[in-house]
Amino acid sequence: MKSLKYTMAAAILTTAGLLSSGSAHAAKICFAFQDLETEFWVAGHKAITETLKASNHEVLESNANEDANKQLEQVKDCIAQNVDGIIVIPQDGESAVTIVKESQAADIPIAVFNRPPTDTSKGIVVVADNKTIAEQAVDYVTAEALAKAPPDKKLNAIIIVGDLGDPNAVGRKDGFYASINKNKDRFNVIEVASKWDAATALANLEAAVTANPQVDLLFTSSDFLFPTIRSVFEPRGMWKKRGEEGHVLMAGLDGDKTACQLIKEGFVDATGVQDLFFEADSAMNAILAAIEAKETQPNKIMPDPGFALTQANLGTDEMRMWGCKLLAGK
Amino acid sequence: MMLKKKSLTDLFLQNATYVMFGAVVLYFGVQQTSFLMPDSMANIVKQASFIGIAAIGMTFVLLTAGIDLSVGSVMYVAPLIAGLLMQALDLPPTMGLFIAIAVGGVLGALNAFFIVVLRIVPFIATLSSLFLFRGFGTWLTSSKQFDFADEFRAFGLSSLFHIPLPIWMFALVLILAHYMLSHTGFGRQVYALGNSQEGARKAGLKTASIQARCYMMCSACAALSGYMLISQIGRLDAGFGEGSEFDVIAAAVLGGVSLFGGVGSVFNAAVGAILIQTVKLGLVFTGVNLYAQPIMQGFIIFLAVLVDGIRDKRTTALLKRTIRPIQ
Repeated sequence: MKSLKYTMAAAILTTAGLLSSGSAHAAKICFAFQDLETEFWVAGHKAITETLKASNHEVLESNANEDANKQLEQVKDCIAQNVDGIIVIPQDGESAVTIVKESQAADIPIAVFNRPPTDTSKGIVVVADNKTIAEQAVDYVTAEALAKAPPDKKLNAIIIVGDLGDPNAVGRKDGFYASINKNKDRFNVIEVASKWDAATALANLEAAVTANPQVDLLFTSSDFLFPTIRSVFEPRGMWKKRGEEGHVLMAGLDGDKTACQLIKEGFVDATGVQDLFFEADSAMNAILAAIEAKETQPNKIMPDPGFALTQANLGTDEMRMWGCKLLAGK
Repeated sequence: MMLKKKSLTDLFLQNATYVMFGAVVLYFGVQQTSFLMPDSMANIVKQASFIGIAAIGMTFVLLTAGIDLSVGSVMYVAPLIAGLLMQALDLPPTMGLFIAIAVGGVLGALNAFFIVVLRIVPFIATLSSLFLFRGFGTWLTSSKQFDFADEFRAFGLSSLFHIPLPIWMFALVLILAHYMLSHTGFGRQVYALGNSQEGARKAGLKTASIQARCYMMCSACAALSGYMLISQIGRLDAGFGEGSEFDVIAAAVLGGVSLFGGVGSVFNAAVGAILIQTVKLGLVFTGVNLYAQPIMQGFIIFLAVLVDGIRDKRTTALLKRTIRPIQ
């Protein structure tokens, strides 16, 4: 009886699978990405390419190696190859506008993944709400910092800023200030430029900490900089777990594997999480739907609300974070 | 009186890099006195040591009137290969250091092969190796970050007599390179080649061998620089070292090394690297707005290069009346 149930279930699933794969025709998708320098981009790239290929779609991949002009040429090349749709991770917000324009002029639907164009009215734009996510993460650490400190004490807060040509970096910076400005008079902010480069962040953070040895909280605009922060903090006795003397309250953004590990160990207090798998699925589904509907210039914004994983909700929300899923091997 | 004024101008121009350096330190010191504290100064030298080591190597290449655009990629791929071997063979970080330098030497030999044997213009040859080396590294890692063992970071963060290891390495490379260029026949040959390749060839110098050794040294220095920098962080990202070639070349040129060959010294290139780092960290130290930082950085570097340009013109004019070599 049990084996009959399994056989029937398998037959139903197989039929459903065949029907669903048969309904959508195999499309030729161009996937142009700027680079794969962090865990977030690697995981995003993997999710998109593997899912598309598993559905028998042809994927033309091109890596621009952080060169906006090169990426534009690669997209033009895709257009020349008559692709059915384009998914792009642009180098910056400005070049994204040009790429979207180019694609729509050729009547090819385009989806922009995670890094939005400066003009979001054109193309399918899948983007995390960087400002809100950053604000949520920073809110958690500022509340803890204020609760611990005497009421008249001014606290030093460091923000490691990303590349200011990247709208995501600007959004995260705005989110940080939105949180800090709720208690403006209690914080002295120290800005540290990273340009999304670990070596730049290392040099600048060392200088900032030398100039301001008392650090009460730190927000990094990307989780990939936590090893760099550790290199600066550890020799100064500032890399401590929660509850240990000298612990600096820290928050990040991305939700990668390293951040998950560090939150679990107690070194990091919160991180803003972009729902990578939701974003990847949204970009793919939207572009495939546009191809299916023969819609050549679809324009819509698909926001990823994201959330903040903190020490308070770690127990319940851990597996909502893509980095924790990867860490757990899922 | 006129003569005195003229020689004072010459004295200023001859030491423009040092004068600029002094002015920059003074400016930031006045803005924030803690900038002049030993901790801050040590941090500047430490952070400058990475680009400084690579700039010393670059000086050899620039002296031959060549250029190496692949240093950023070498900084990435040489420590990566060393790290992979250290992981596979359970080697200590000191051994990894020698492996990284050796890999750098091999990559430099490849550049030399393109330039000396295939006679490809250095700019084009090293531009292609920039992509070739980085592509190789990206292929090795599949763009994933490479984490080194904890002992590697402990090695990088270690110090001797309270002086961090990168500063020792910087000093060692500087002394060796300075000795090589100023006190050996090879050093004189490098200057001769840079001043006139044809003249050097006619004088019986093995110009191909000299050039090849310079490119190998440049890449070996870049590899050492990358290894030391990564040993501070313990994790190698796919974007590591990207764009570093510009910092390295800027440091050497700022130190007075001519892009046309034959003029400059490693000591000045090292000062150029420290000057760039002083400006960068001074801006962080004094809390200058992030949007204004690149503008100020660019302005100060432009000023230094402008003064250097005027000095070059005057030196060229003086050269017409002297037979002494210029360094």
